[in-house]
Amino acid sequence: MMARWLRCLLFFTGAALFDPAWADEPLVVVPETNEVKITTEFAGTALKAVGSMRGPADLIIKLVGPPQVAKLSRETKIGPFWVEGETAKLDGAPSLLYLYATAPIAEILPPAALEEYGLRLEGVPMRLEPQLQAHVSDDWRKAFFRIKERQGYYHEDDTAIRVFGNRLFIANMRLPGDLQVGTYTVETLVVKSGKVVGRNVGHFTVRLSGIERWVWNAAHDHPWLFGGVFTLLAMLLGFALNAIPYGRTR
Amino acid sequence: MEVFLPIAHMDVNIVLILAYGALVGFLSGLVGVGGGFLITPLLIFTGIPPIVAVSSGAAQMTGTASGASYLHWRHGNIDFKMGLILLTGSWLGGGFGVYLAKVLLRAGEFGNVVVFLYVVLLGFIGVSMLIESLQAVFRSGAPAPSAAHAPAASKSLVHTWFERMPWQTSYPVSGVRMSALGPLVLGAAVGVMTSLMGVGGGFIMVPVMIYVLKMPTKIVVGTSLFQLLFTTAAVSIMQAGVNHSVDPFLALILILGSVLGTKLGARLGARLPAEKLRLILALVVVAVAIKMVVTLVLPPAHIHSIEVEVK
Repeated sequence: MMARWLRCLLFFTGAALFDPAWADEPLVVVPETNEVKITTEFAGTALKAVGSMRGPADLIIKLVGPPQVAKLSRETKIGPFWVEGETAKLDGAPSLLYLYATAPIAEILPPAALEEYGLRLEGVPMRLEPQLQAHVSDDWRKAFFRIKERQGYYHEDDTAIRVFGNRLFIANMRLPGDLQVGTYTVETLVVKSGKVVGRNVGHFTVRLSGIERWVWNAAHDHPWLFGGVFTLLAMLLGFALNAIPYGRTR
Repeated sequence: MEVFLPIAHMDVNIVLILAYGALVGFLSGLVGVGGGFLITPLLIFTGIPPIVAVSSGAAQMTGTASGASYLHWRHGNIDFKMGLILLTGSWLGGGFGVYLAKVLLRAGEFGNVVVFLYVVLLGFIGVSMLIESLQAVFRSGAPAPSAAHAPAASKSLVHTWFERMPWQTSYPVSGVRMSALGPLVLGAAVGVMTSLMGVGGGFIMVPVMIYVLKMPTKIVVGTSLFQLLFTTAAVSIMQAGVNHSVDPFLALILILGSVLGTKLGARLGARLPAEKLRLILALVVVAVAIKMVVTLVLPPAHIHSIEVEVK
């Protein structure tokens, strides 16, 4: 594994030094994989991105998951009981938003640039239904970001990127176990003197794989057949595990 | 040791789910209940979406009831005429319940309704069982008051009412005669509960059949299991068809655990006196009900919660 990464580093070192075409695009990023497969034993994964730049500079890596639809609800007290009360539908916010940097992002870029490049966790666009007054809508948005941060889907980390000799870097990105399937975007920015001077955008796909994919497709494409066959299998399994051993011992 | 559940779209600890299955199976073997009323709350406590917990619980009960039903069929303990009428009712009730679950899901009220139904039902049943079993333990040898009085009370009211209703028919295996409407309505009520709560309804069905329908106990157990098997099977198919909510991995792990637990429970159950077994079950039921009440009464740690639509 280490040898593979060293080969990658050597390749990009050479490329960065000798390819004149990269003079105006001083950033190359290669993600470890372009596909993450969710299988039975999947409980999250570590993803690396390796790259080279014309340093010294700061780096920011923005990892954005596919947009999701979520129902946000607020507990309400009715008599002595806390029950689910008001709800709001949030559409379009990324399922995951990780911001990695070599230093605290607010210290290396001015607020206008943070806004421009979407580098604020609470700044992601989303649609809220029903349409509410601005301050009410803002409360729901803040609640959404609090939950996302608490669950670990939105976070900022200024220790995950290691830079070697101001030219090469490796970013370690830890993805959670219940990833939403879809296309993820990895946007890498090189920052010098408070300005973005290099940008690279890559993608990778998260998809269900193996039997999980088959089960999901069967359960959604042919739900009645799936339900019938699985229920019959459950009956046969229960029968085999219970009745047959009993019959032999009688 | 984690396993990814494709329909719940989350990873769970396989040992924990096996333990849930084993615990419910153990109680099932110990005191002869299906255990659906325990497995659904346990799964919800673990973070599994209520609709997936209810639906996969129904599939699990289908698996665990099939072997037991086969044994009762071999021993001639099933009143098929009664069972088919109960089944007709429970299928109708189950179908209605599945669509009701869909409506409640759309309205965002499914979780609230399920929790409240559990609190009411488990609280009522648990406290009743606890009182009855404590009386039985402290007055060992004397018949329990509820068992002694229930038949007389029901004969004067409900059973007489059943005898006057239309569609009178006899049930030779059980040795009783009554309107087909009685078991039909009972089956429908149990079917709705199966769809909304993931329970087989044995803990309602068995006392009603013994005390109200006046059926012999051994026929009641066999017929109840027969009805349970095909009701939970139908609900499992309907939940998969309508709500896409049966997680096969979850159900299979639960079946494996419950089969192991049932065998252990049955061995221990043969050595313990009946009143102590009922007391154990009552304490477990009351504990689950208290846990749910506490969850409802205590202020939540976080006022907002999120439910992501899985695509």
